[in-house]
Amino acid sequence: MFKKVLIANRGEIAVRIMRTCREMGIQTVAVYSEPDRKALHVVEAEEAFSIGPAEPSESYLNIERIIDVAKAAGVEAIHPGYGFLAEHPLFARVCEDSGIVFIGPPSQVIENLGNKTLARTMMSRAEVPVIPGMLEATTDTTLLQKEADAMGYPIIIKAAAGGGGKGMRVVSASSEMPDACVSAISEAEKAFGDPSIYVEKCLERPRHVEIQILADSNGNAIHLFERECSIQRRHQKIIEETPSPALSPELRERMGEAAVKVAKTSGYVNAGTVEFLLEPSGNFYFLEVNTRLQVEHPITELTTGTDLVRHQLEIAAGSPLSLRQEELLQRGHAIECRIYAEDPAADFFPSPGKIIGYQEPTGPGVRVDSGVYEGYEVPMHYDPILSKLIVAAENRELARRRMIRALEDYRITGITTIIGFLLDVIRSVPFSRGDTFIDFVQTHFSGWKPDKDLVRAAAAAYLVDEMLGAPQPQVTVSQAGYPTPWQSLGAWTL
Amino acid sequence: MKGHSLRIGDTVKEIQGTIDPQEERGTLRIDGASLEVSFKPLYPGCYRIVLEGRPYTVWVERQGKAKHICVRGSAFIVEDAARSKATFARRRSIEEGPGEVTPPMPSVVVRVLVNEGDRVEKGQGLLVVTAMKMETTLKAPYAGIVKKINTQPEAKVMPGDILVEIEPEVESHE
Repeated sequence: MFKKVLIANRGEIAVRIMRTCREMGIQTVAVYSEPDRKALHVVEAEEAFSIGPAEPSESYLNIERIIDVAKAAGVEAIHPGYGFLAEHPLFARVCEDSGIVFIGPPSQVIENLGNKTLARTMMSRAEVPVIPGMLEATTDTTLLQKEADAMGYPIIIKAAAGGGGKGMRVVSASSEMPDACVSAISEAEKAFGDPSIYVEKCLERPRHVEIQILADSNGNAIHLFERECSIQRRHQKIIEETPSPALSPELRERMGEAAVKVAKTSGYVNAGTVEFLLEPSGNFYFLEVNTRLQVEHPITELTTGTDLVRHQLEIAAGSPLSLRQEELLQRGHAIECRIYAEDPAADFFPSPGKIIGYQEPTGPGVRVDSGVYEGYEVPMHYDPILSKLIVAAENRELARRRMIRALEDYRITGITTIIGFLLDVIRSVPFSRGDTFIDFVQTHFSGWKPDKDLVRAAAAAYLVDEMLGAPQPQVTVSQAGYPTPWQSLGAWTL
Repeated sequence: MKGHSLRIGDTVKEIQGTIDPQEERGTLRIDGASLEVSFKPLYPGCYRIVLEGRPYTVWVERQGKAKHICVRGSAFIVEDAARSKATFARRRSIEEGPGEVTPPMPSVVVRVLVNEGDRVEKGQGLLVVTAMKMETTLKAPYAGIVKKINTQPEAKVMPGDILVEIEPEVESHE
């Protein structure tokens, strides 16, 4: 096993990876940008190196700088986390060439699976169902129009290099195609340096269901069941759960087998996630492979009793898989909520700033993977995820109630978070029925405002606090002309 | 009864109250509704408040004139409306378009789209700012002439900073 590992990431995921490293007796090395000097992952690590200014391209995406630090610190391996360099084939290759183990799949596998049309072709040859659509990307708008017309609308335009919703357009009529193609091509060019796009059939009310896989370098591959991640905003997940309310044992087995086939077909090594779209009919289609640890991996850990980061490290160190498919069981139900610093009442606008008050929920079945602390200044330069709240219980309804309790206990003041919004989603009738699908948030929660009762309670608290704590009697609420003992006492502390 | 005008998030609530501090109870009027309230300080900054029979554990952190209040996981910034114009401008700039060209949140300037002396239409993009991977275009609140640009690309800017000054166009009557 490795003695020392560099974590090329920040925030909650860097902290989470370091925790497993410490449990395994592996020394941890953090890297950080200027505004992250006081970040939690720097505190958590045993060594930390500054790698440059706030701008990600000059720090967390700076391959040369990170490799230099890795060499100087004498690490044997680099864990990329998620985002930043996690799915960057060049970074994986530079690691390979520098004699540093990249904790993830081989660079060639990342490259093949990162090209969406190549991945689709590969999977359709292996008889894994793919979404009906083009197998080759192009910038030829006439060809795109012809393909879309033949397929029938609505269709969805995607970028070959795709990710994060960039270059993506839903087109509902033939007449909208020319404009949509031009803008998608330009967006793809800007975001990925690759302008090619392709057209896929738009599925009816699909769910996002993904399968966790683990594969070792001896060609063994297993799956660790599904995660349903249908609750999204801006094409990004905010609530995930497992098991999916939509899977029968038979469907779960078929999807698991398909995912293992994807792993074997692509030559996959390490932890990965095979994403599918699932139609209400039970038909499922290959979407893409995320060649990294997912944000939502903890719900799989809590229901299978595994530590996925430990398996990643063992596989990267060359050990064979220590788990066998037939030994794996899903127990109970787990839900994760992503705690974003965003204002859900203002179209999820980011809300950086200083965290004034902070207390995490605890108690039975509650896990918090966090990257922040009280007094921490949330920088404006990075993804607004603060932490992840994960709960597990014996069944879905108990997990749902546990999540409500835990969210209510989560105190973050000073910045705006989406906790109040998450509570309303988790409490809602469609969510409690398990009736989740990708457009859930737009369908049920557009124009969301905070709970009126809570706003009133906050107003009452303001007045009570003003009266009990304020040194200026004129701002207290009382009957005019009647000085209360609280006023005449002057300032005092409880 | 003494009235309070509280700004909570993006709304203003008119509140009146009669509270007996010794009995730790009273009546509040919010949104025209009369509500029974009782309360108990638990420890500094933490109260149990019972509003219309429903108990809430509430945390209050003071920061300047604002109070950060957390109740059942939801956090609110509550201020006396008369004293909180600056904070309100931040919210208004997201929802209605600002009266002044100021960023809605701490951000970094990406591009400046106009030059001093330019004539701009109402709603025309003036500059692009970015925060947490999201870009936002700040638009002209009214038609006019760009008098002064107080920033440049890569500058860190805060809500309340006037980034572009525009001299409003005098309406001509033809």
